[in-house]
Formats: sequence, structure tokens, C-alpha cells
Amino acid sequence: MNQERAIWVVGDYRNYFQNRVTLQLLAKAGELAAKMDGTVCAVVMGHGVEEWVGEYQAHGAQRIYVMDHPLLSEYLPGLFARALESLARQRRPEIILIGATSFGKELAARAASRLGTGLTADCVDLYLDQEGRFVQVAPAYGGNLLAEIVFPRHRPQMATVRPGAFAEMPHDASARAEIIRLDPPAGLSGDGVRLVSCRRLGYQGEDLENAKVVICGGRGLGSRKKFKNLHELARLLGGEVGATRPVVHADWAEEERLVGQAGKHIKPRLLFSLGVSGAIQHTAGIADPEFTIAVNKNPLAVMMQKADVAIKADAHQVALALIRELKARGSS
Amino acid sequence: MRIVVFVKQVPAVSELPWDAKTGQLRREAAEGMMDPAAKRALEAALRLKDAHGAQVIVISMGPPSAEETLREAVAMGADRGFLLCDPRLAGADTLATSYTLARAVGALSPDFDLILLGCHSADSETGQVGPHLAEELGLPAAAYVEKMALKGRKLTVERVSDGWLETLEMDLPALLTVTARAFRPRPVPMTGLEQAFGQGEVFILSAADLRADPEHVGWAGSAGRIIKIYAPAAQKKGELIQGTPKACVRELMARFGDRLGGLLAKDLSGEEQA
Amino acid sequence: MEFNPCMKHKVVRGAAREFAEGELGPIAAEIDHQARFPWEAIEKMGALGYFGLQAPRRMGGAGLDSISYAITIEEIARVSAGVALCVTVHNSVCLYPLLNYGDKEQIARLAEDLITGRRIGAFCLTEANAGSDAGAVETTATAVEDGYLINGTKIFVTNGGVCGLAHIFAKTDPPDPRSAAVLMVEKERPGFSVGEIEDLSGMRANPVSSLFLEDCLVPRENMLGKPGQGLKIGLAALDVGRLGVAAQALGIAQAALEAGTRYAKERQQFNKPIASFQTIQNYLADMATQTDAARLLLYRACAQKDAGKPFATEASMAKLYCSAAAREVANLAVQIHGGCGYSREYDVERYYRDAKVTEIYEGTSEVQRMVIARGVLSRPS
Repeated sequence: MNQERAIWVVGDYRNYFQNRVTLQLLAKAGELAAKMDGTVCAVVMGHGVEEWVGEYQAHGAQRIYVMDHPLLSEYLPGLFARALESLARQRRPEIILIGATSFGKELAARAASRLGTGLTADCVDLYLDQEGRFVQVAPAYGGNLLAEIVFPRHRPQMATVRPGAFAEMPHDASARAEIIRLDPPAGLSGDGVRLVSCRRLGYQGEDLENAKVVICGGRGLGSRKKFKNLHELARLLGGEVGATRPVVHADWAEEERLVGQAGKHIKPRLLFSLGVSGAIQHTAGIADPEFTIAVNKNPLAVMMQKADVAIKADAHQVALALIRELKARGSS
Repeated sequence: MRIVVFVKQVPAVSELPWDAKTGQLRREAAEGMMDPAAKRALEAALRLKDAHGAQVIVISMGPPSAEETLREAVAMGADRGFLLCDPRLAGADTLATSYTLARAVGALSPDFDLILLGCHSADSETGQVGPHLAEELGLPAAAYVEKMALKGRKLTVERVSDGWLETLEMDLPALLTVTARAFRPRPVPMTGLEQAFGQGEVFILSAADLRADPEHVGWAGSAGRIIKIYAPAAQKKGELIQGTPKACVRELMARFGDRLGGLLAKDLSGEEQA
Repeated sequence: MEFNPCMKHKVVRGAAREFAEGELGPIAAEIDHQARFPWEAIEKMGALGYFGLQAPRRMGGAGLDSISYAITIEEIARVSAGVALCVTVHNSVCLYPLLNYGDKEQIARLAEDLITGRRIGAFCLTEANAGSDAGAVETTATAVEDGYLINGTKIFVTNGGVCGLAHIFAKTDPPDPRSAAVLMVEKERPGFSVGEIEDLSGMRANPVSSLFLEDCLVPRENMLGKPGQGLKIGLAALDVGRLGVAAQALGIAQAALEAGTRYAKERQQFNKPIASFQTIQNYLADMATQTDAARLLLYRACAQKDAGKPFATEASMAKLYCSAAAREVANLAVQIHGGCGYSREYDVERYYRDAKVTEIYEGTSEVQRMVIARGVLSRPS
């Protein structure tokens, strides 16, 4: 009876302005649906979520499942996973896409287990191959490689997708979706986790994620003290400072500045990459900058190969020279 | 109190050489080390042991060399290690992995109070195994934990998820994954090493020992099939500048100053504006 | 014959390396340049068992075998040879003789402070007129009613500036060389004082100094062994000490090999990495071969000791070869670095300075050859 092939996009709206990954996924889902004669469905769970229903409708959702209930007023993955599971068991989607945010990844993993299906993490691309298989492209083996993965048997096919992998569609206020309002499953309760309090933190790298100019530092800078100069450079350039994992592990920079698959996803117009080798865990967090300048003693470093301008020199020395030059040019 | 910590051995270098012909990583080219995030999970467990007294059991799934990681964990203060080592377990995705780990908990420490994992391993930062395992075992769980406090059977944790600081409460038994920023691990004491290599500290188990369904473990139990694997195309024909740092910056400004100025929306010419 | 490290030795290496890179790595250049003894790191090492590496576990030691000991020293030296010097001298020529020649009372009274690193140990043989010729010490220990009154000056004492317990070689019946004895002197004894810290070329993190003994009274119970056993105890300690110094030299060679290799791959001349030039490849080949040969000699000597077999000749061979390898590998690493290798900005300059002294102390290369030749000549032919 249910011949329809639906692609679901699960709404993650807690940090709407920082993270529009749900809208990006709706756009990609539309592209996939057109090729497989499917339907793009958004799933909105929570309490007081009408705003998001309108938003998803304007961004390509053809059908929206809305589960709006006081029981769902706390943004808890264990709770949402149970609601999503019951919905998916009823409606049997072909594909479920969830943004690879912290919440999305936790929710997706828990829902996948409950549904007994597979889940691919942090996809950077999705497509349908010539045989009509749903192919998920994701980092593999420590992020040095990309793997293309299919699910031969398990349904629904689930994936989390990194923010910034796709572009959202323009807001279309005239678009109309079929809206289906549902009650939570009878007796819905969470996994026993109680939310005592929650608050939005101050600087958590939102500025970094939205910055038009990012200065990223890697281990090649040499020391914590040398890394600190990047803040001066960032001030002069009107940008934000990002860091690689080795730098964060060495405590040269706060975890909030981690750029990469497990950290912040940045989309700057201009990227300065100083002393960064360019492991894919790091580069996976950078969405096509218009212009990249890399500085590294090793011209063969991946980041140097990716750059528009590769400067072969000591990253710290160049940072200092650049600071002096910018000051001389009156950019103070 | 019984705590189970899952640890993993990962290559000690961030970029492994890759054989383009076979598509395989040359894992043998690198020594292994305890995954840094897992090490922090172990540290969290050892702090609970120091404060409240606990038996800490460490479990790893991996090749024979992963025994090193378990011995290291015992040297740090864990009580016992178990290595799930069986060719049938190889090639597991996170679904098959979490099934196997759940079987291991059932077989080795069914009366556990707390399960701890690192939230992202260094070699595959999926962050999925912890939440999967929580569902397999039907436990209250929280990922990305940075602080925890135990009072009786009530566990209170703090975690940051997408820029929200949350305080969560749950009753034991429970499962947590911890981030790499909290629980800075203690160094391995030299005084713990001899004992860690004694008898009765580390045990090697097969899939059969876990009474695991062969259909649900390893490659056979994995949902995903890799159809292609490749190094991401990085090449972009850029310009190379070299020389002294000062000369490099001069050349950068001379050749790309206008472009940079445009991107920065700033006049970088250094001339007074009319 | 087994040439692969066993799992324990891999884990020991991993533990020592992680500690050395994490705690000593950030300060290694600074403590050398400032000639500063890193108490903050030393205290942590004490808590982790680095000052009782081979002491029995029942006494709070790590109870490690000799290969593990060598690996640990090697890994510390790979990061900071000056700190490795402190650890190896403490373990092999201060703690080891106490545990092997001390009586129950002495061990009960003195071992714990050494094993936990609360007291850093020193070994004081060298004097202005006694170096390789150990029998020529002029320091005296005169028997008096309540012990021994020690008088003399010791020079080039490793750990001198920070030691809490010093083994002093002195003659009870001068000038008879057979009357040499070892007296254990705690730093708080009246008459014991520390001279100025030497301004050495290398190993600058270690406060090498003179020690002065002026009517320093120690109780009879502070004599290690019996009067006249001093040379025997000293030579036995030096056999073990040589393993430690060889391991230290090996660590320097390993660090220099890694630095040279890294730089050869990074540094470009004539539009290609200098590693692509055959001359540099030859250097790297020699460096790697010497480092490996040094390692095998050292581990063989350690295995010999662990098996309870005589190892003095093997220890001297290891010490002779490891120290020469360290000097040569560090030299080539500097050469590969060109001008940069002569700059304090680069670690190879430090390796070069640190390496040289391993051919001098704990028995010069000339003395090692004497010992080796003695062993060779005494073999049945």
C-alpha cells in the first residue's frame, strides 16, 4: 500500500541562526527526490514549533510531520529518538537525513539503533548512482580518505550530513506543504535522563562559524606563545581564529576554536591557514572559501596544495611579517 | 560500583600512508596508541574509583596489538581488561560494533553501574558508538560530557551540545561519552607497568565467547557496504611564493593586495584615501 | 633469537614517550638555555616511579627489567638528555648500590626517599686528581668514636646542586688504594656543602657541581659495605651506570636521526627536498644504521644482565658504541641542517652539545676500550 519513497529531513532548530543545516538538507532532499520520484518530508518535533513548520514549508518540504506536544518541550535526544522511531515505523521512509550537529548526531545514532538500521556519519555528499542506489560519501579511516557507502538491505537508510555541505534553497513564502499533525506515541517517555537546567553559552565559536575571514593555526606555528599572535592578526584582518586538533590537544587554543569534522564548520570568504598540514578531519570543516592563503614550510602539505596562494616559509615568521605589514598599511 | 570503559587502539600518527593500488591503509606502518578520547573516559572512571571506590573494567575490540592498550589501562589503574579479538568481528560499522560491545557487557559485567566511552575516536570521529550502545542496553545516556558528580545512585553531569550548557541527571546504571577537553588523563605510572603484565589482568575473547550472533557482528552484521574509497581531490593550481617571511608578505601584498582588500572590504594600498 | 620488542617493552616505551613529550618536550630547550633544573617535572617523575625504575615493587619501586630501564632512559633522553642524566645517575649509581650492598637497616632508612624522588641521588668519585684512575681519590674518611669524619672535594658531580644523598668515595687508610670505601652522606649533614654549578657545554639542565666535605661527620651505619669494598662497589655500580649512559646516548642519537630526517624532507634547495640528494641520503643511511646498531648492542647487554650473566664487557661495548653513535649522528644532523643546525633555534644544536659528554663521563671511551680489551683477552682462546 505504501509505495511512496519518502526522504525525511529531521528538523534541528535549536540554533537556527547559526546552523541552517536542516534547510540545506531539504534542498538536497529535493534534488534526490526528483530523481527517485520521491517526496521530501520534514519532521518537526517539539513544543511550540509552528515557526519551523512555516520555515520548512518555504524551503522545499512537500510534506511536514508535526509532533507538537508539551511532552516534547525538552530538547533531549533520548526522547526525540523514541518519537522519531515510532513515526518511522508507521510511515516507513526510504531515507532519513539529519544534520551532523551535536544534537543531530546523538539523535540519529539513537534512532538508528532503535530502528535496527545503519547510519553513516558526517556525510559530505549524497547522490543516487546509475543503479538508483543511495550513495553516501563520508570521511573514512581517520579522515584521510573518502568512502562511498550504500546500504543494500537496511531501511530506512540514515545519514548525518555535515553543515555547509549543501546550499539551501531561497525562501519561497508561496510554497505549500501537506501538513500532518500527530500526537506523540502513547506513553512516550525519554530514556530516564532529566534536564536540570540549560543555558546558551557565550562565545562558543558562533562568530567563527559565521566569520567571513578565518585565520586557522596548526602545529606548524611552533608553540602556544606563537599561536597567540594569530589573535592580533585576526584583529587586524577583522577575522576569527580557528585551530586544528593537535593545537587544541596541546592546549594552545580552546576547544571552541577547533575547526573540523568534530568541531566548528566554517565557511569563510577568506581563509588564512598557518602551519596547518590539512588532514581531512580539519578540512572537512571548511566549506569552499573563495580565497585561501596557506603558509607552511612543507610545500607538499595538503593545505598548501589546496590554497590559492601557498607561501613556503615559517608560519610564525610570516604571521609576524603580516602583522607588521598590515600595521604599516594602516589597518590597525 | 562497577564501571565499564570502552577503549580503542588507534594509529599514533594522524596521516597514515595509503596504498593507492589496493585502497588499504598501511596500518602496520604506525605504532598504535590508546585513543585520546577513550583515555579521557578511562580517566573519568579512575577519578570515580579514586573518590568512591570502584571496579574498573576495560574492554576493547580490535587486533591482537590492541592488548597493549588494555595493559596500559591496567597500568593506569584499571582492574581488568578484555580484548574482543576475532577475525569475524573485523570490518564492523557502528551498528555491528555496538551490538558486539553490548554482548560483551552482558557476558563480562552484566551488573555494571556505569559505562564510559570517548565521544569521538581519533581515527573515525563518528561519535555514534556511545549513543548506539545506550539504546542496545536500554540505558539513560548523555554524550559530550565534561563534568560529572555522583551522589548515591544519582549521577549529575554537565555537557555542552551545540553551544548549550546542559545539566542532566540520571540514575545508575547509565552510559556517558566524554569529550576530549575534560578529564585530562594521568600519565602512566612506571610503578604500574610490571603489574599490568602479570597473570589474570587481561583476557582475550572471541565472538563465540560472547555468544554473539555471527549475523550481527563484523562485516556481516554491518549495514553499510563501501563501494569506493579514494583520497579526496585536493589539487587546485595555486601560486607558490617563497623567500624570507618579509619578502613573502611583500609579494603577497603586491600581487594579491587588491583581491585581499576586496575580500576584507578594506583598502590595503597603504595610501591615504582621498 | 628474538629481535622484536615484546608487548611490555612497547608499552613501557609508549608510557615514557608520552610523559617525556608531554611534560619535558615543552621545556627541554628552555631548561638547557637557562641551565635550569626542572623541579616541577622532577616531582611528577618521582610520583610516577621514575626514581625507582628497577627498585622492587614491594618497596614502591617500578620493578622493571633492564631493557625496560634502558628504554625509559632512552625515551627521556630523546626529549631532554639533561633530565635523563639526572634519572639514570640517580637510579644506577646511587639507588642500585644501596639496594645491592646496603644492609637491611640502611635500605629501610634511605631507600624510600630515593625511590620516591624526595632525595635525588649522586655518585661522587671524580676529584681534581682522580678520574679514570679511581684508586687515586684523595678524600679521606677518618674513623672517630662516633663514625667517620670526611674531608675532601669532589668535582663534576652529576645532580650535585640538587642531591639529597651522595655516595662519597673516600679512603679510610690513605694513601692505600685498597682502603677506599663508600660513605652515604645526606645533604643536611654539617660539613657538607655544594659548590658553584658548572657552566658546561651540554647537559645544562643538570646542576653538575663540586661538593665540599669539611670535617663532615657521618655515623658508622652510613658506610655502604665494608671498609676496602669501595672500589668493588664503585665498579659494579659503574657497570650498571654504563647501561644508563648508553641508553641516554641512544636517545640523543634517535632524536637527532628524527630531526635530521624531518628537516631533509622539508628543506628545499634547487626546487626539491634535500632528502632527494644522494649525499644527504648517505648521511641518513649512516645515521639510521649507527642508531640501530647502538640499540641492538645496548639491549643485548641489558638482556645479559637480566639473565644474571656477566655483562661488564657488553655494557662497555654498548657505552662505547652508543656514545660514539650519538656524537656522530648528532654531528650529521647538524650538517643536514646547515646554518640552522648551528642556531639555538633548532634542537639539533643541543643534541650535538649533549652528545659529546657521553663519550667522557661514566668512564671515557678510552677506559671502555680498556675494559673491553680485558674481557677479550681473558676469553679462552
